[in-house]
Amino acid sequence: MDTWKIGNRTLHSRFFIGTGLFPNPYVQQEAIRASGAEVLTFAIRRINLEQTEDDSILQHIEPEQFQFLPNTSGARTAEEAVRIARLARASGLSDWIKVEISANERTLLPDALETLKATEILVKEGFTVLPYISDDPIMCKRLEEAGAAAVMPGASPIGTGLGILNPYHLGLIVEEAKVPVIVDAGLGTASDVVQAMELGVSGVLMNTPVAKARDPIKMAQAMRVAIEAGRLAYLAGRIPKKKYASASSGLEAFKLS
Amino acid sequence: MVIGGGVIGLSCALELRQRGYEVTVLERNECGGQASGAAAGMLAPYSENVESPDEFFQLCLQSLQLYPHWQEEVKRISQMSFEYTSSGSLYVVYHEADLLALEGRLHWQRQYGSTGAIIDGEELFRLEPLLSPEVRAALYTPEESHLYAPDYVRALEQACRNAGVHIYDRLGQVDLLQWDSEVKVSTENGQHFQSDQLLICSGAWAQQTTEVLGLAFPIYPIRGQICAYDRKAHPIQHMVFSSQGYLVGKENGSLVCGASEDIAGFSTEVTERGIERLKRWNKKVFPKLDDMQPFHRWAGLRPSTQDGMPLIGRLSGERSRIILAAGHYRNGILLSPATAKLAADIVEKKDIAAYNLAFSPERFVGLGL
Repeated sequence: MDTWKIGNRTLHSRFFIGTGLFPNPYVQQEAIRASGAEVLTFAIRRINLEQTEDDSILQHIEPEQFQFLPNTSGARTAEEAVRIARLARASGLSDWIKVEISANERTLLPDALETLKATEILVKEGFTVLPYISDDPIMCKRLEEAGAAAVMPGASPIGTGLGILNPYHLGLIVEEAKVPVIVDAGLGTASDVVQAMELGVSGVLMNTPVAKARDPIKMAQAMRVAIEAGRLAYLAGRIPKKKYASASSGLEAFKLS
Repeated sequence: MVIGGGVIGLSCALELRQRGYEVTVLERNECGGQASGAAAGMLAPYSENVESPDEFFQLCLQSLQLYPHWQEEVKRISQMSFEYTSSGSLYVVYHEADLLALEGRLHWQRQYGSTGAIIDGEELFRLEPLLSPEVRAALYTPEESHLYAPDYVRALEQACRNAGVHIYDRLGQVDLLQWDSEVKVSTENGQHFQSDQLLICSGAWAQQTTEVLGLAFPIYPIRGQICAYDRKAHPIQHMVFSSQGYLVGKENGSLVCGASEDIAGFSTEVTERGIERLKRWNKKVFPKLDDMQPFHRWAGLRPSTQDGMPLIGRLSGERSRIILAAGHYRNGILLSPATAKLAADIVEKKDIAAYNLAFSPERFVGLGL
C-alpha cells in the first residue's frame, strides 16, 4: 500500500480538497466522496467557529471521517495568521493549520517572509503546520527547517487554473525536500495533476478546478485517477526522451530468414 | 404552452403574451405555491456572487437592471401592488482576514455597476445601529434591493390573467406525450393540452417533467428553511448578509431570516434543528434577536443544478419544440425578468448574446461518441 505520513497521521489518499465554491451542498458532498480525499481544507474566517456543527459548510460533513486542514486565508501578516490559527484550534476543529498569507487581493500570492514568521511561531506552539508558499526551492527549504510538517508550493496563482508554470522549480523542491511536498493552488485539470505527481510530489490540494467544473463530481473522480496515474508513473520511472526513433520490435524482427 | 406556474413560468408567460403569443400555463398545484412563494425576495447579484463576474453574475446583474421597469409593468397590468424596496445591502464579516476577500470582491464589482464601499466603525453602526459589536466591517452595496415575493408572484399571476394568459392549476402531474410534429401533454386529472412550442419551468420538478425525453437534466431540490421575527420590535434598514445566512426587513412588519441548504429530497418539512441553527446564528448578527422568537417558519425547495447555473435554452433535433427555463436555485425571483426576456427571445428564435450559451440545457449531455 502506497501510504504516506504528515506528522503522525498516515494518509492513503494524496488528494487534499477544498470545500469552498461548490454550487450546492449535494454536489459538494458527492464530489468529496468521489475524490476519496481524507483531508479537507476551508477558510477559518468563513466558519462559524463557536458552533461548527451549525456551520453552513461543515454541517454537511461527517467530522470523524476527515482530517481538517483549516487555512488562514485572508491574513496579511504573520500576527493575523497566528491569531486565526489559535481560534481554529480552540474551537476543537484541528491542530493542523495551512498558513496562507497574501498581501495582494488580485494575485493572492503568498508573502514569503510573513509565512516563515507565522510557521516558526505556530510550530513552537505545537501546531502541525502546512504553509502555502511560492514555488521557490530555497524558501521551501527554510520552511522545512522551521519545522513545517509539509510544504505546499503553488503551481500558479489560486483559482487561475493555469497549471504548473515552473515545473523545473517544483522538481528541485521535491529533490531537496525531507518533508512531503503538496502542490497547492493553480491546477486546472487532470493533466496538470498528472504532471505534478510525475514530478514526485506527495500530494495535491485543489478546490476551484473541481468545484467550478461543469460536473464537479465527475471532475473529482477525474482528479483522483489522475493522481493515481501520475503517482504510478513516477514510481514506475519514465523512459528518457530521445531525439530519434527506435522501433519497439527491433529491426532484426523484420528480417526474413 | 408553459409547464410550471412559479415565478419563472409566470414571468415567461407574461412576457410572451406581451409579445403577442397565445399562452397557456399548466400548474400541478397552485401558482407560486413552492419556492417562489417561500423566497425572501432578495435582488442581490453582488452579494450572491462573491467570486467573479461569470455568466451567471451577468444574467443576475442584467435582471436587477431590468427590475425597475419590469416591476412597474407587473403592477400596471395586474392592478396590484407589492413591496419593492431599494434598501441596499450590508455583507458583514467578523475577522480582519475577511477584508482581503471583500477588497477583491469590490475590485471587480465596481467595474460592474456597484458603487459599494467597505465600511466599519461609526459609519457602519450608524447605518445599522443594532448590529453586533463583533462585526468587524461590512461591504455596503447600495444597488441591491428586495421585494415581497408572495405578493409579487400573486401580482404576476393576476397580470398574466389580465393580459389574457390561460392558467390551468391543480392539474396534478403533467406528462409529456408527444414533442415531434407538435407538443401534447396530459395531466393527472385527465385533461389534454397541445401547442406548437413548450416551455418547461417546473423548477425542482423539471427532472420529472423531462424524464420521458431520455436526456439527463441534473436539477434537484435543496430545501431552504426560513423564519420571520417581528420587525417592529427589531427594526433593520438593510439586507444583511453573512457567510452563514441573511436577514431582511419587510414592509409588512416581518424580519425574514434564512436560509438553510438541506439535502432532504422533496420534503418541505421545517425541522427544529434547521430553525435553531438560524436562531443561534442570528444573535451573532443582531444580539437583541436572542430574546425574540420567530413567529413564523417555513421551507421551500430550491431547484439546484450541477454547476450552479440555470438551464435556459432550446433543445436540439427532434426535441426542438421544447425550451427549458429551470434550475434557478437561490435566484429565481431576481432572475425572473431576465429569464422571461431570454426565454421569449428563444421562443422567437432571435439571436441571443453569446454568454447565454453557458445556460444551454444540453451542456450536460454527452455526445455518445
